[in-house]
Amino acid sequence: MKQSKTRNFCIIAHIDHGESTLADRLIELTGTMKSEKIGEQIMDSMDLERERGITIKAKAIRLLYKAKDDITYELNLIDTPGHVDFSYEVSRTLAACEGAILVIDATQGIQAQTISNVYFAMDHNLEVIPVINKIDLPNSEPERVLEEIESVLGYKSEEVLHISAKTGQGVSELLETIVNKIPPPKGDINLPLRALIFDSHYDSYMGVVAYISVTDGSIRKGDKLRLMGQGTELEVVSIGYFNPKFCPTDVLVAGDIGYIATGLKSVGECRVGDTVTSLIDGATEPLIGYKTAKPVVFTGIYTTQPEDHGQLREAIEKLSLNDASFSFEPENSPVLGNGFRCGFLGLLHMDIISERLEREFDLSLIVTVPGVKLIVTRTDGKQLMVVNPSDLPEPTEVQLIEEPWVKISVITPSSFIGPIMDLVTQSEGIYKHTEYIGQSHSPDTLGQRVRLEYEIPLRLMLTTFYDQLKSRSRGYASLDHEVVGYRETRLIKLDIMVNGVIVDAFSRVVPPDKAHEIGKSMVEKLKDVIPTQLFKVPLQASVGSRIVARADIAARRKDVLAKCYGGDITRKRKLLEKQKEGKKKMRNIGKVEVPKEAFMNVLKLEQ
Amino acid sequence: MLPVNRSMSDIIALYIHIPFCLRKCKYCSFISYRSRESDFPSYIKALKKELSLRACVCNIGSVYFGGGTPSLLSPEQLSEILSSVKKHYLVANNAEITIEANPGTVNAAYLAAIKKVGINRLSLGIQSFNDTELTMLGRIHNAAEARDAVADARSAGFDNLNVDLIYGLPGQTIEEWRDSLEEAIQLSPEHISQYALTLEPEEPLFKEIKAGKLPDISLDVTASQYQMAENILQNHGYIHYEISNWSKPGKECRHNLVYWQGAEYLGLGVAAHSYIERRRTGNTDDIDRYTASLSQNVLPLLIVDEKINFDLEIAESIILSLRLCRGINIKDFEKQFGIDIMKNYTKRIEELREYELIEFDEGYMRLTSKGRLLGNEVFWRFLPDRV
Ligand SMILES: Nc1nc2c(ncn2[C@@H]2O[C@H](COP(=O)(O)OP(=O)(O)OP(=O)(O)O)[C@@H](O)[C@H]2O)c(=O)[nH]1
Ligand code: SF4
Ligand SMILES: [Mg+2]
Repeated sequence: MKQSKTRNFCIIAHIDHGESTLADRLIELTGTMKSEKIGEQIMDSMDLERERGITIKAKAIRLLYKAKDDITYELNLIDTPGHVDFSYEVSRTLAACEGAILVIDATQGIQAQTISNVYFAMDHNLEVIPVINKIDLPNSEPERVLEEIESVLGYKSEEVLHISAKTGQGVSELLETIVNKIPPPKGDINLPLRALIFDSHYDSYMGVVAYISVTDGSIRKGDKLRLMGQGTELEVVSIGYFNPKFCPTDVLVAGDIGYIATGLKSVGECRVGDTVTSLIDGATEPLIGYKTAKPVVFTGIYTTQPEDHGQLREAIEKLSLNDASFSFEPENSPVLGNGFRCGFLGLLHMDIISERLEREFDLSLIVTVPGVKLIVTRTDGKQLMVVNPSDLPEPTEVQLIEEPWVKISVITPSSFIGPIMDLVTQSEGIYKHTEYIGQSHSPDTLGQRVRLEYEIPLRLMLTTFYDQLKSRSRGYASLDHEVVGYRETRLIKLDIMVNGVIVDAFSRVVPPDKAHEIGKSMVEKLKDVIPTQLFKVPLQASVGSRIVARADIAARRKDVLAKCYGGDITRKRKLLEKQKEGKKKMRNIGKVEVPKEAFMNVLKLEQ
Repeated sequence: MLPVNRSMSDIIALYIHIPFCLRKCKYCSFISYRSRESDFPSYIKALKKELSLRACVCNIGSVYFGGGTPSLLSPEQLSEILSSVKKHYLVANNAEITIEANPGTVNAAYLAAIKKVGINRLSLGIQSFNDTELTMLGRIHNAAEARDAVADARSAGFDNLNVDLIYGLPGQTIEEWRDSLEEAIQLSPEHISQYALTLEPEEPLFKEIKAGKLPDISLDVTASQYQMAENILQNHGYIHYEISNWSKPGKECRHNLVYWQGAEYLGLGVAAHSYIERRRTGNTDDIDRYTASLSQNVLPLLIVDEKINFDLEIAESIILSLRLCRGINIKDFEKQFGIDIMKNYTKRIEELREYELIEFDEGYMRLTSKGRLLGNEVFWRFLPDRV
């Protein structure tokens, strides 16, 4: 029976603890690929993933491993993104497996997302193999980390493996442990088909390709299928497994992990977390409850040159075929013209999508200040959702505003509790809970490591919270967060005027008592990021008709001329051409040339 | 390669680059090597070879020895080069022959000697009459040597003298700048060039500012210094004829006018640029490659080689002639290119007038005094949309 020789597992970790590097070693040690061909983090195949050194999309690979018992096992490995923005997708991936390797960095110990990942794994009843990674590093502290794992996560020391994903030390033992400890898939090939979609992407030749884990039954090319959650019907165009490229095969059966090409046009029709069954005589119960990841962070996206709007529309439509978790709706700004209000899973997700739009579609974009979705109840009792600050009704028409809150968990050496507590208080947050988890790197100075729980409005997480947390903890603190629901709040709209024109793209919702302070730091920041113009430019922050802060950009009186001598006129002209080109990356607002970065950087307040 | 047959009426300017200095100034971005006198003969040999390979039947109206520090060459070496020029080209009798000379490298005897070999215009790289500033810039000379150089030039009989000055130095006040300028005026040179200090990241002075050892350059002060200089020079009878250049009436630098008028020039030596028959070329900036090629009778590698098409020619012509204070003669321009500036650039011109960067007067379009400080803002607007 094939299933008994199959092991399906994923690798989970806090960001950068070494998931993808461990995947490389497993691929190499099983002989699936030669190390020269693997390079570094082979699973991170997107340009953006390679450049940033992070995993953005989950990926799978089938490994054949001949174990000590002389049996060849089929190991299906799924590499998942470590960043919290993608934790919803990670939780779906876990449902496709029976086991998980939990990677913990020996120099850092347990971090915030280590814990949330363990909870996910527990939710799905996975067999967890805890490993301490990077033991090759001179500053690694495996003993201390082991203590933490025992006391906080409750694993026994003999269960925990010590490895280096980089050198390969301990990885053979890990392979044996995978085979011995992780149970084979439990499904039944004779039951009606049930397969879980744990990722999908759009391919211009094959249409939407769904990555699936087959629990019961089997799939062949040409089968007619139905998605139980969304109701989408489809026909299997082609079928296969990953090595890690697509590798066509005839059939996927219970216990297999692979892909089906569906011919569908958009990943929105074939979302992660849905269960695939046969169109006729299908299963009745989905594998897991199907729900979609909801965007929580919203921003306006415009082209720097208004005439490029059509290209932006096309680009967004195309990209959304490949990413079902970002939303978009056309909107119109009096200053920026036509654009889109887009919703994302978090700031990293926002950053990645806007970068992909610029890069893959050669666009120059303005991305406005990100915000949350507010629920506003008007005095006439009508409720509306507000994702664009400009749509906030006049204060006199507002009965109630509610905004999303998150529960955050911070792991830090105890000596930083004070500064972190201050930050949370300043960020309108509330304290919930403290838990001691172990000794710090240098026990004398930094004290014990603690896990702190707070609740704060999500709105505050969108500005400088993370940067400040890092700087107040000298880089030690790690953060995880999770939306907990909507709560009543008091907010008003703060506008910024550039040269007398209200620039809606800079508008934000803020608590009334913070309007002056935030307005002041915004105009000061803009003063730095908007270059001098040929005339004096007043920058004003206002609430309604009341000016709450002002700063002026003095007129530019002199160019910086490039040095050129003799007849080197070509160089001079090239510099002028560059200057002219640069204007395309600016947006003209009330005659003021505003660089596109200003729209984002206005948030990066200095404190 | 140059065409050999050119009409006799074509007058071209000849530039010769001498890439040697005693030591590098802290703001230098010119192609110049720390002097190894032993390199001079091989370089001169290469120059002469380039001259012969690029020989043509054309009239040379001006010769300009630029650098570097051309005054490091001996009168004999200069004479050798000039003879070679005369051998391969027709040099007009009244040709303007300029040499850039640095105080600290010249004395009365030397200057008299180079005057004798035919050099009739001297451009002195004085930069400042303030010793603190000269040290900050890393110049090899002090103020006293600068004064001596002017006196020596006069006694050697030079009656066409330029003084180069630099303003907009880190921390330099308007008054300090005025003092240097007034001292220069006292010596009544026929010509004064003044340049705002511009720094590039790899230069030592730039690094000193970044490291906080020197104050940042204030563009505001620099602008005021320029405007003050404009007034003072005008009061002393100097005519402002180009953004950075002033002269006594009739003493404009003929060689540099060639660049601004879009006329042809031939540049010889390392990193020298030429513009002949709508083609702009620039020699390699590597002295060893330069001499190596020429020792094999091969013209040096070009690091710039560009055909100037009609659109570019128009743009460059506008940009360069706007550098001249009298501006562009709109009728002449239309005669030359068949283009009505007013119609062709209506929107741009409107914008620039609104910002008070250009003005129109008696058939000319020119930069305003504000526009002279913000030239780039004007120039880029006349570039063609796609090149
Ligand atoms: N010295 C050493 N470095 C390691 C080891 N494992 C991973 N690294 C390094 O740690 C960094 C992060 O590794 P990745 O494998 O990309 O981490 P990840 O967990 O996949 O990151 P995300 O996918 O972004 O969550 C890389 O620079 C690796 O080279 C190890 O065992 N020893
Ligand atoms: S004298 Fe001129 S070329 Fe020589 S180092 Fe100084 S600035 Fe550069
Ligand atoms: Mg990874």
